[in-house]
Amino acid sequence: MRSGTANINIDETVLIEQCRRGDFTAMERLIIRYQNRIYNVILKMCANPDDAEELTQETFVKILEGIENFNGRSSFYTWAFRIAVNLTINHCKRGQKLVTRSIDAEDSEYNEQAKTQLKEFLQDDGSLEPSAVAQNRELCRIIVDSLSKLDDTQRAVIVLRDIEDMSYAQIADVLDIELGTVKSRLSRARSSLKEILEANFQ
Amino acid sequence: MKESPNIDEMLNGFIDGELTVRQQTEIQRLIRHDPQVAQRLRQLQRCKMLVGTLPRDEAPDDMLERIKASLERRTLLGDEAGGFSRQKGAKHLLGRRLLAVAAIVGLVAVLGTVIYSIVAPESVSEKSNLYRREPGQIVARPEHILTGDAGRQVAAAAFRGRLELKTADFTAVDAFIRRAIENNGISEYLGSAIQNNRSVYALVCNRDRLNSLLSDMENIWPRFSSATLFVEQDRLGEEIAVTGASPLRIVEVIGQNSYEERIAAAKKIAALNEVNALLPGRQVMAAIDGKKPLSITIPRPVLTSGEKPAGKPSGQAELGEKVQLIIIVAPINRGQ
Repeated sequence: MRSGTANINIDETVLIEQCRRGDFTAMERLIIRYQNRIYNVILKMCANPDDAEELTQETFVKILEGIENFNGRSSFYTWAFRIAVNLTINHCKRGQKLVTRSIDAEDSEYNEQAKTQLKEFLQDDGSLEPSAVAQNRELCRIIVDSLSKLDDTQRAVIVLRDIEDMSYAQIADVLDIELGTVKSRLSRARSSLKEILEANFQ
Repeated sequence: MKESPNIDEMLNGFIDGELTVRQQTEIQRLIRHDPQVAQRLRQLQRCKMLVGTLPRDEAPDDMLERIKASLERRTLLGDEAGGFSRQKGAKHLLGRRLLAVAAIVGLVAVLGTVIYSIVAPESVSEKSNLYRREPGQIVARPEHILTGDAGRQVAAAAFRGRLELKTADFTAVDAFIRRAIENNGISEYLGSAIQNNRSVYALVCNRDRLNSLLSDMENIWPRFSSATLFVEQDRLGEEIAVTGASPLRIVEVIGQNSYEERIAAAKKIAALNEVNALLPGRQVMAAIDGKKPLSITIPRPVLTSGEKPAGKPSGQAELGEKVQLIIIVAPINRGQ
């Protein structure tokens, strides 16, 4: 089961209904249930922890203020993420607050070992355990920086797929686009990301 | 291998488990037979893995409290905004009510003006020197005509008016009028005077006697080159001039029961005179007076008294309402 649907259990409908009636306890439960996932997606998209906190806060305020208007045509999960992603994309476009540090300019800042590891991994010459990547902060920084160089919509589709692990259909629902658009956009996004990553060691 | 968008989409779909069983079989066959496709698949898988293995960041511990605080703040602001909106609404409502009241007051004022213009007499300034002898025009009464006791008594009468007659046979006509006044026993004949070569007869009598006098005067009416009746209004000494007045028309005006009706009748006759003056042969007035047939029909004014000047008054008629009429006979040269 995908993580996107893993936490949507039977009582979510009840929880939403309780939130609609102004039940603060239900609202707290809903926030606790989604806050980390929404924050994580926002942070991966905007690459700025302060902005991510603000955007997460704003997302939940909008969710709880607008829950009366939630009509159930889409799932609450995709509806909530639609709010988060739209806010983040608008924020990035509006303020250009996205961290767009030039990898070329900061090549020297990256650890040579991390760059070598990344090069070997991408050229199919080496192997990397997922746990090793997660623990290598320098490698993570290269990946996040590379992500931030993607177009907003490409970054959104990659984050939703590879980080939030949404299905194509869910991504289409969140971004309000056709399924075929999700496929083509994701394909272009991964190709672009690969090129950006490879540019670090070329 | 050349990176084909379609192959890439299929490979990405394969990686993400979004392909149908048939598509998966197809991709697996390609991977087995095409090393480049297999390599591309591995590259995409590694790219996906790199992003997917990024550590999951968690929201700050105080996120819940911050969200709650933000909600409370917004609720408070919303209440204040609501209060402000309510205040604005109340002000707006008050403004609308004031506007409505102002509109009503304005409407009443306009209606009052309209009603007053209909009910109240038309007026011009008492001090106005305007004295136009145009039909239906309101003119200021010339003060030189009536002075002294006669004028004061006239002011007390129900009908007040003045008949100005001009004739080339002044001596004969004047003598005839004098006799007619005496013959009709107008006891409250206030006397006559010669002013500026004109004879002025100030009459106070009831309607019947005046009708009788006018009936007598009908015999000499063709001798008048002009006959203008001035109907006085109750206030401000203003008059309505009716040119081309005939005995019948004068009786008609005097016979009206109220001041307003007299004014209306005078205006109507004045208007008819105007129409008549515009038509060749003066058909309208002749037809109204019953002297000639008329091809067009103009409704005759409704008379509240007799259509024709009555004969000699009966004894009881002496008790009728008093009217005041000043007859001014002025000479003109025959050539005029």
